[in-house]
Amino acid sequence: MGLLRAIAWVSVSVLPLAVAVTMPAAQGAKPNEGPALFQQKCAPCHGPNGQGGAGYSKPLAGKLTKVAMAAFIHKSMPPGGPVTTPTQAAKIASFAYDSFYSPIAQARIAPPRVELARLTVTQFKNAVTDLISGFHSAIPGNGTHGIHGEYFKGRSRDSKNEAFQRTDPNIDFDFGTGAPNDKDFDPRNFSISWQGSVLAPDTGEYEFSIHSRHSCQLWVNDTQYPTVDGEVRSAGDPDPSGAVTLLGGRAYTIRMVFTKATQGVDDADKKNKKPSGPSYVSLRWRRPNHVEEAIPTQFLFPDPASKSYVDTTPFPPDDRSTGYDRGDSVSREWDDAVTSAAISAATYTAKNLEEVTHVADNDKNRTDDLKVFCSDFLTRAFRRPLTPDIRSVYIDKQFQSVSNLNEAVKRVVFLGLKSPRFLYREISAKPHDPYFVASQLSFGLWDTIPDPELEQAAAKGNLATTDQVEAQADRMTHDNRAWSKLRQFLLFWLKVDEVPDILKNPKVYPSFDATVASDLRTSLELYLQNTAWDQDANYRDLMLSPDEFLNGRLAQLYGVALPANAPFQSIQLDPDKRAGVLTNPYLLSRFAYLDTSSPIHRGVLIVRNLLGRILNPPPQNFIPLAAAAHPNLTTRERVSLQTKPQFCTNCHGIINPLGFTLEEFDAIGKVRTSENGKLVDCSGTYRDKSGTLVKFTGAKDLANYLADSDDAHDAFVTKLFLNVAKQPPLAYGPQTLPNLERSFSANRYSIRSLLVNMVTTTAMLPLATGKGG
Amino acid sequence: MKHHRTRREFLKEMGLAASVLPFLGNLNSLALPGKPKKKQRLVILFSPDGVVPWNFWPDATGANFAFKESLSPLEPFKNRTLVLKGVSDKVRGDGDNHMRGIGCLLTGIELFPGNVQGGGDTPAGWSSGNSIDQEIKTFLQSDPSTRTRFGSLEFGVMVPDHADTWTRMSYSGPNHPVAPIDDPYQMFSKLYGQVQDQEMMKSVLDDLKGDLAKVRSQVSVSDRKILDEHTALVRDMEQDIRTARTSDVGHAVPVVEPGVRRENDNIPKITKLQMDLMISSFIGDAARVATFQFTNSVGQARMTWLGISEGQHDLSHEPDGNKAAQDKLTKINQWYCTQLAYLAKRLAETPEPDGQGSLLDNTLILWTNELGQGNTHTLEDIPFVMVGNGLGFQMGQALDFKHVPHNRLLLTIAHGFGHRIQRFGNPDYCAAGPLPILS
Repeated sequence: MGLLRAIAWVSVSVLPLAVAVTMPAAQGAKPNEGPALFQQKCAPCHGPNGQGGAGYSKPLAGKLTKVAMAAFIHKSMPPGGPVTTPTQAAKIASFAYDSFYSPIAQARIAPPRVELARLTVTQFKNAVTDLISGFHSAIPGNGTHGIHGEYFKGRSRDSKNEAFQRTDPNIDFDFGTGAPNDKDFDPRNFSISWQGSVLAPDTGEYEFSIHSRHSCQLWVNDTQYPTVDGEVRSAGDPDPSGAVTLLGGRAYTIRMVFTKATQGVDDADKKNKKPSGPSYVSLRWRRPNHVEEAIPTQFLFPDPASKSYVDTTPFPPDDRSTGYDRGDSVSREWDDAVTSAAISAATYTAKNLEEVTHVADNDKNRTDDLKVFCSDFLTRAFRRPLTPDIRSVYIDKQFQSVSNLNEAVKRVVFLGLKSPRFLYREISAKPHDPYFVASQLSFGLWDTIPDPELEQAAAKGNLATTDQVEAQADRMTHDNRAWSKLRQFLLFWLKVDEVPDILKNPKVYPSFDATVASDLRTSLELYLQNTAWDQDANYRDLMLSPDEFLNGRLAQLYGVALPANAPFQSIQLDPDKRAGVLTNPYLLSRFAYLDTSSPIHRGVLIVRNLLGRILNPPPQNFIPLAAAAHPNLTTRERVSLQTKPQFCTNCHGIINPLGFTLEEFDAIGKVRTSENGKLVDCSGTYRDKSGTLVKFTGAKDLANYLADSDDAHDAFVTKLFLNVAKQPPLAYGPQTLPNLERSFSANRYSIRSLLVNMVTTTAMLPLATGKGG
Repeated sequence: MKHHRTRREFLKEMGLAASVLPFLGNLNSLALPGKPKKKQRLVILFSPDGVVPWNFWPDATGANFAFKESLSPLEPFKNRTLVLKGVSDKVRGDGDNHMRGIGCLLTGIELFPGNVQGGGDTPAGWSSGNSIDQEIKTFLQSDPSTRTRFGSLEFGVMVPDHADTWTRMSYSGPNHPVAPIDDPYQMFSKLYGQVQDQEMMKSVLDDLKGDLAKVRSQVSVSDRKILDEHTALVRDMEQDIRTARTSDVGHAVPVVEPGVRRENDNIPKITKLQMDLMISSFIGDAARVATFQFTNSVGQARMTWLGISEGQHDLSHEPDGNKAAQDKLTKINQWYCTQLAYLAKRLAETPEPDGQGSLLDNTLILWTNELGQGNTHTLEDIPFVMVGNGLGFQMGQALDFKHVPHNRLLLTIAHGFGHRIQRFGNPDYCAAGPLPILS
């Protein structure tokens, strides 16, 4: 255990929160110890508590380690004055660090608190969908893949015309001049209808298209109007297509029909039968960050899903500068977007009143039943039971204002979605309030409002004990909604959430095109699913697993023998060289140039995101030295040359030795043993927070270190916590991170267990001062 | 769903930007010195299945003609009516006469070969060109002095909810049919939805501000900053709504009778609702081109309100000798003509908002059909009846052009707007240029 944690553990248990620290110096400390040295040498400029003084007004607080502080003090403090010996510097640093400099010390002096926050854009949109369409399981059925097909002997899809039903893996057929089979069909006249649902992995626009020359239509999330309408075809027209915006993490009903026959008048019985022409049909999509392809089996289910209302209003992006999306500010653009979204949802409700409210148009007690709907709607939107005041303003007053019931419900929905009780997190909450607990779980794990099971648990008082809360959280971590949020985090953490097109030099990598890049991204997605979401998902697997996912096209490029059209499958790729997500070829390609690797980008990813260290951006925009200008140097040599100057080494002294460990992987993440005629040097180092220098040779060494390093565990836990809770961990008490790290280790780095512990912490611990007073 | 790239677009969409005046329309012409440009509108009415020629066409030509039974409702507008016989649809190509009847009627060009099979002939797809209403719309929208909020509006009555070559007559381009709106509530929402939403927002914002104040008092002092900013934004929105001129549309927002179901027997009611909305849209200058489609090609309206229980298409197949059927068909067409007369009357009684005569003075209504006659499926002598003075044609006469291609009539309409194209649709049928009816 690091020095940091030991000290933190001791000092916090001694000092209560929000109490001014009394300096030992004032009580006559020993002359050559830290406190006295500080008062003598540092206080004249920095003030007795480091809060600022005559020579330097800024308070002393930051993120250097004690070792780094000591080195700095010895080298540079006081400026132009007598040298502080290494021993003295170490004592001063130790004192200052624990008293006021470190984040923990700062937390003791001015504790961070849970701040009032609005829903993030993701949370807003998920909540609107779950409110308007009701809470439905993200994936229908039992999760088996494929799509349900009904095959008919002619144009008419009457059941008496049915030849057979079956589950097709996906829709990608070439019938030639024939039919699905020889015995059941006239090859000139048959039709097929498919039903099921499609999973949208990311939020964004999906362009669906049907590759076929024949009559075809596709309905996505809509039973009335086809998303893709190719019922009427003209000679030479393009494949019919249509775009629809979908929320990630859910499945949407799809239905598709294909007819090999003319439309309009039925001419199947015409006496002069023409010979059968060719036919083919393929259901394709272009999903965010990928190229167009036939929808793969892994995204299809044979059961339909429930209809989901999806808000498509463009929102300004949330602030992500501190490493996670958070709702800590409002703006005109945001308010306009909320208004627009509220109008859309309210209009949709008024137009589809029976569908949304489940109150029949000819219901005898329509007004009363609609008021009950409104009450349920607002209870769910505000995440707690309504008070009589709220009911009076939000429901009764609106029903009194207009006589038309559709209009009244429209107002309630609009007002509800514009209300601060919906838009802000837990405004009327108090600690141990079961509704507060329910919201912490649902927003923490799923980025949405509580589901009916959570609501009922809250109402019945079954969210009181830690065991009860953990049981709910555990249930929720097995739902695809939790995977959706975790997946978003992982892609953001690895800096591949929004990626520009990955382009490579066609002369050096002739087969690396947009399709390969798209396949590689799929391979990373499958890798993450396999290591971070499967049954025993844990952090060490994420750092160490050698199982990559390749299809035929990728196999060829990375030197594995698979048939050209082989689907994605698990392969141990270069098991002597690769281990963990850092050696995934997509990641390595992303952090590389057209034909050279980029140890700096790879190093920065490791330093900031995997080891949690702070790095300032470079002081100016440096253009990398052109490889062609230094043809005799390896990438390592060239990068070292460029970052040699003194002012570079502060950061590059940390970045480069980590990035160099991945030098065995070229610009497309393929293994290489030499570069420009020289053997690749993949040795590297890292000085951890406690000052220990660790050495590596190659990626596997690095992976092994990251799998077990305290620094790496700290980073992962901290960043995941911020993403889950969207509040600083210290706001829940100084023991928050140490406790989570301890249980992370005790649970063998299970990611699900970590998530459960995180949300339980945010739900159960008393909040830091600030709330309610 | 609404999409907004910027706040400015959002304000425009909500009708709140002071610079956008969708309802008070384009008053530039008033601001300019000298004679303002004359406003011009085109309305195309479509009814299906042909007419009964001997009960339709006037016997005489010239200014001294008499209306037969089918056209008798137009008597009050005789001096503003132009009946054109001898204008035929010469376009051939794929599709049967019904499909080509509606698909080539406003386009003057062949249908693509495709997968839709008619009662005979080869299967066809969509039109291979755009239609005259969309051509005129584009022409008017390209000039700021004639630009309107929508450019064109496509109305329908009982149009089957199915996009195919029989249900579409308007095309914005090859393979791009334009769907009519046959639901008056949907049309109302399109025209007045913004205004309705603004009214709603105005009246609930007070409740919202009240609750924001309550909530603010419940949170800690350090948390109030974000709520104060939020409250300021709500006040800004309220101010925008108050100062927006577009909440006053300059005319009474029409009240559409609620609860009219979309069914055959409501065709008269729906027709009136739609036509009243068209008048409103002209008062507000939301568009200068409108099409109005009764059902579809091979339309099967059952005019029970006239005592007719058979579908129109079935009746239209009866031979000339079946007098009872021909009488019914005549009554059916006379009913369509009554609707045309209602539209003409409403236009005539409604003054132009800028004071330049009545709406009918500046509008040309063209009533047409897919076929000359239903049982022969002839495309010769396509019914063309025009009412109104909008395009400067010599009205108050009946003419017989003796089988000229109807492309020439489409050209004439374009020229009437000052859009002097040399060809429209298939150029082979345009050689002789516009018809000599412009004054």
